[in-house]
Amino acid sequence: MYRKQVRRRRAVLALLVIGSFALLTVTYGQGSDGMQRGVSTVFSPILSVADGALKPARDLVNWFDETFDAKGRNERLHEELKTTREQAVGAQAALAENAELRKLLDLDRSGAIPSGYEPVTGRVIARSPTVWFADVTIDVGSGDGVEVDDPVVNGDGLIGKVAAVTGGSARVTLIADHSSAVSAKIVPSGIQGVMKPSVGDPGDLILDFLDSEKRVGKGQSVVTSGWRGQGIESEYPPNLPIGEVVEASLLEQEAQQQVHIRPFADLRELDLVQVLTGGSRG
Amino acid sequence: MILTPNILARLVAIVVGGVILQLSFFSQVALFHVVPDVLPALAVALGLLGGSLTGAVCGFSVGLLLDCLLIAPLGGGSLVLLATGYLAGLFRERFEIHSALVPPLLCLALTLFAELGFGAVQLMLGVDAPVSALVIRDMLLKAIFAFFLGWAIYVGVRRALRPALVEEPMTARRRRRPTVLGA
Repeated sequence: MYRKQVRRRRAVLALLVIGSFALLTVTYGQGSDGMQRGVSTVFSPILSVADGALKPARDLVNWFDETFDAKGRNERLHEELKTTREQAVGAQAALAENAELRKLLDLDRSGAIPSGYEPVTGRVIARSPTVWFADVTIDVGSGDGVEVDDPVVNGDGLIGKVAAVTGGSARVTLIADHSSAVSAKIVPSGIQGVMKPSVGDPGDLILDFLDSEKRVGKGQSVVTSGWRGQGIESEYPPNLPIGEVVEASLLEQEAQQQVHIRPFADLRELDLVQVLTGGSRG
Repeated sequence: MILTPNILARLVAIVVGGVILQLSFFSQVALFHVVPDVLPALAVALGLLGGSLTGAVCGFSVGLLLDCLLIAPLGGGSLVLLATGYLAGLFRERFEIHSALVPPLLCLALTLFAELGFGAVQLMLGVDAPVSALVIRDMLLKAIFAFFLGWAIYVGVRRALRPALVEEPMTARRRRRPTVLGA
């Protein structure tokens, strides 16, 4: 009797392990399949309701965390405020000039959303608990016009792109995910590079493959380069803000051709996002 | 554990409720910049109360549901959490749980194991970016959170599954002694 039980237990365990490996082999890199679509469709409304209901409790916990942080941030913010005030005067002039130029070129005056893209607003309803995957699930999907590879932004800048869609939800791979690589440029110098994450630290992105002859300075902004040529083009439209250079040592630039960037968007605390659907991606 | 349809329904509710709570609440709060992960602790609690087979099956189910809801490649989460639940169940079958500290300590150790497991699965599949040292801090803090949350999870799950438990693993219920008048 006992032996029979042990045999049965071992058989179930072996079945589960083989099943896990089989699922991993079949589904890795394939995107969403029918089962995931079904489960996601059933659970999306439940997750949406749970997300709304648990928001006050989440806010309370986050408030404690932010209070701990606030003390340290205060000094840094004072310094930043001083610098920003100085820059604001210059920015006002640049903004006026920019508006005139845009008017002349008959481009979109706001410039926030690139022309040809239709923004679809969604809310983050789930996110991966492990540090190895920087993914979030949002409550808009193919039914709202969302497609795989659509860029996703929030009020601060680029946050990632759509990796998989179901009817009412989509998985967004954040720019902090290990699989992410974004072609980016530094403004105003226009130095091009590829932005990659540092796994486990969403506040630190690496702009790699820079031209070692050109110098990048701390505080410079980084935007998507949105290149196109010979029938292929970047998945991201040009000039979406990504972040600012926070560490640009001469040694690192010359030896490794890279600088460190802090993303404008807080990738740990995402709520409302916009998926840029449509566009002219080939 | 005595499995009846009623207990099976409770197990399903615990698994589904746990995954929804993780995705809707714990995954969206940050304590010291780290997101708590209660799912390994849930698999540990189920393994400790139900044994290695229950732990493995529940861990597998939790992982599968998690991957489905995150629209992520299936199998990785299942494999790691199945091992976590199985090890917790094996511990219960091999050793006596003498102290109330055992479940939370096991949650701490096996959450660390699960996080290392997630990392190992990811490394096996390929990581295309440099790995920050902060990953270690993240894993350690997750394990510490699991120590504190694991105790509550264990107590909650034990309460939900009490009718199915063959024996009380922590302490035998104290019998109330009859009052003797005039003694």
